[in-house]
Amino acid sequence: MEIEPYTEVTLTADRKVVAELRGVSKSFGDVLAASDLNLSIGEGEFLSFLGPSGCGKTTALRMLAGFEVPSEGQVLLDGDVVNDLDAHDRPVNMVFQQYALFPHMTVAQNIGYGLRQIRPRIPKLQIAERVSRALEVVRLGGFEDRKIWEMSGGQQQRVALARAIINEPKLLLLDEPMAALDRKLRKEMQIELQDLQRQLGITFVLVTHDQEEALSMSDRICVMRDGRIVQIGSPQELYDRPNSRYVADFVGTSNFFNGKLQGSPEGMSTVLLDNGMQVQGMAGDGLVDHQDVCISVRPEQMKLGHQGDGVEVKVHNRIFLGEHTEYLVSHQTLGDFLVLAPRQADLTEGAFAVGDTAAVSWEATAALILDRN
Amino acid sequence: MTQRARNWLLLAPAGIWFLVMLIIPLTVVFIFSFGERAPSGGVVLALTVEQYANLPARWAAFKNTMTLAPIGTLSALLIAYPLAYFLAVKADPRWKTILLVLVIVPFWTSILIRSYAWIFLLGGRGIPALLEWVGIEGLRLINTPFAVLVGIIYGYLPLMVFPIFVSLDKLDKRLLEASSDLGAKPWKTFLQVTLPLSIPGIATGCMLVFILLMGEYLIPALLGGGKVFFVGNALVDLFLQSRNWAYGSAVAVTLVVVMLIIVTIYMRLISRLGANREDVSIM
Ligand SMILES: Nc1ncnc2c1ncn2[C@@H]1O[C@H](COP(=O)(O)OP(=O)(O)OP(=O)(O)O)[C@@H](O)[C@H]1O
Ligand SMILES: [Mg+2]
Repeated sequence: MEIEPYTEVTLTADRKVVAELRGVSKSFGDVLAASDLNLSIGEGEFLSFLGPSGCGKTTALRMLAGFEVPSEGQVLLDGDVVNDLDAHDRPVNMVFQQYALFPHMTVAQNIGYGLRQIRPRIPKLQIAERVSRALEVVRLGGFEDRKIWEMSGGQQQRVALARAIINEPKLLLLDEPMAALDRKLRKEMQIELQDLQRQLGITFVLVTHDQEEALSMSDRICVMRDGRIVQIGSPQELYDRPNSRYVADFVGTSNFFNGKLQGSPEGMSTVLLDNGMQVQGMAGDGLVDHQDVCISVRPEQMKLGHQGDGVEVKVHNRIFLGEHTEYLVSHQTLGDFLVLAPRQADLTEGAFAVGDTAAVSWEATAALILDRN
Repeated sequence: MTQRARNWLLLAPAGIWFLVMLIIPLTVVFIFSFGERAPSGGVVLALTVEQYANLPARWAAFKNTMTLAPIGTLSALLIAYPLAYFLAVKADPRWKTILLVLVIVPFWTSILIRSYAWIFLLGGRGIPALLEWVGIEGLRLINTPFAVLVGIIYGYLPLMVFPIFVSLDKLDKRLLEASSDLGAKPWKTFLQVTLPLSIPGIATGCMLVFILLMGEYLIPALLGGGKVFFVGNALVDLFLQSRNWAYGSAVAVTLVVVMLIIVTIYMRLISRLGANREDVSIM
């Protein structure tokens, strides 16, 4: 497998930048909710903020919406600094986590709300027409006169979506829009959202703590931690070239072995693992000579064999997943780790049973040398 | 015991309460209102509409009640709403409870004593004296409808503040953000979201204050000085002073009927306002 050295992903040149965060920080009292955020969002892009609870995703989104004023730095929309522009003057719309639909209005009144605020007034008939069309788009045609409380959770979410997209915003912000839906509905909505985004060409910024959701929907993902952006990249880039153990762990699953870098980190480098083994791996960016590092190897990059080279392990547990079989193996000094064997390998080389001894190996290019944090 | 018998038994306390507190007294008053004044005071049962024919003699009391009760309710609403809004929306959560308690503190002393304070404030040596000092002379406040209105607003304000506070306090703040996000300026957000969603509180507060005001007699007695009197004062006068129970009963029955008519119309209006709303219900 050929992997190029990691470079920070920038927008492709032909994409116009619609929004930008420049050195943006936000503190609430002595809590630093967002710290030095730098980010450009391209027109028509689907960008996700991904990170664990409390890492500042919502805060970042609310600064784009205009609900929070940055303590430092600048928020730009279409090239203009909008720090002092109130939410109601920004060409940006948000889908709130609990939808925040107006309970005293019908579905149609909710959806037409944004259009009714525009001066000079848009004729009533025209608003009604556009509301109907927005309802069609979210597949709720004919629901105009329903009351909000008569709608199911999934339907309410579509109404919230229609209420936002009818205004044709420069940016559509979505704060964990699927969190309240059950798993099946969530999957459906994810696909629908993606279709909608392609169809409308609106720039989407999604907040989520669900890595699967981020991976399956986004053009780019912005991984956050403790108020900082730790890496921005396409789902594949984050998966193949994480810049830290944190990202490798958060995006997908990986096995980590601690060690110390031997010599300088340039391309293929050597790491002395804590158990005395010397292994080769691809050095990531920003490492220094003799740094304490870890090696990250994805379970599917590991090969389970009967003999030959590789580290000798004992099979601890075996989970048959259809296409793959997941083996939990344990090594005397490296500890437990996961190996994902394709069905084909099981068929040709024979499957392993719990208690069997096996040899695990991987290509040096599949081993990434990463910062331990 | 059958289910039916049990239901009746469970209903009994409420039934007895209604019977003793409402039905019996009202029936008695209703019967009295067709009677005549006994020579020594009290009532002689009869079947005459003479008392009702005499009602116009007490027109002033009805007129005062029917003007000052709505005006007082509206004024209390206009003052209470911003206050409740501030407490519920703007005030620092840490101060909310304390500020709320301060609103009810006046209730800890008798309305009698508080009204006396107003008698002094509005009287010759109070505010008029101050105004004289800055050059405005000859202003008389005490014993005017204005004085009664001030007393009413002062006395009933907390009753108006509380229901409105509750409805504003439970208002989801994200709805306000959503409104702003959709392009509504703060004033429009207030008109289109905050105000409509606080209608239940407004309706409850107005109802409470208005009904109680219709029967008010202490404030007009003290601050109106016998010049601005309510139906309540007329009743006290008829029953306790001139001991004309029959006439008093006719006045009382009329007041109840008027009140019922107004409340019915009011309920209709409000429920129409909230016809397509699940969250609007009266009390
Ligand atoms: N209005 C506020 N006042 C004080 N602290 C706040 C406020 N809003 C957010 N914070 C703090 O800022 C940090 C980041 O919060 P934020 O809501 O952005 O996290 P998040 O990534 O959206 O988390 P979650 O996934 O749980 O929604 C948290 O520590 C939070 O407690
Ligand atoms: Mg959040």
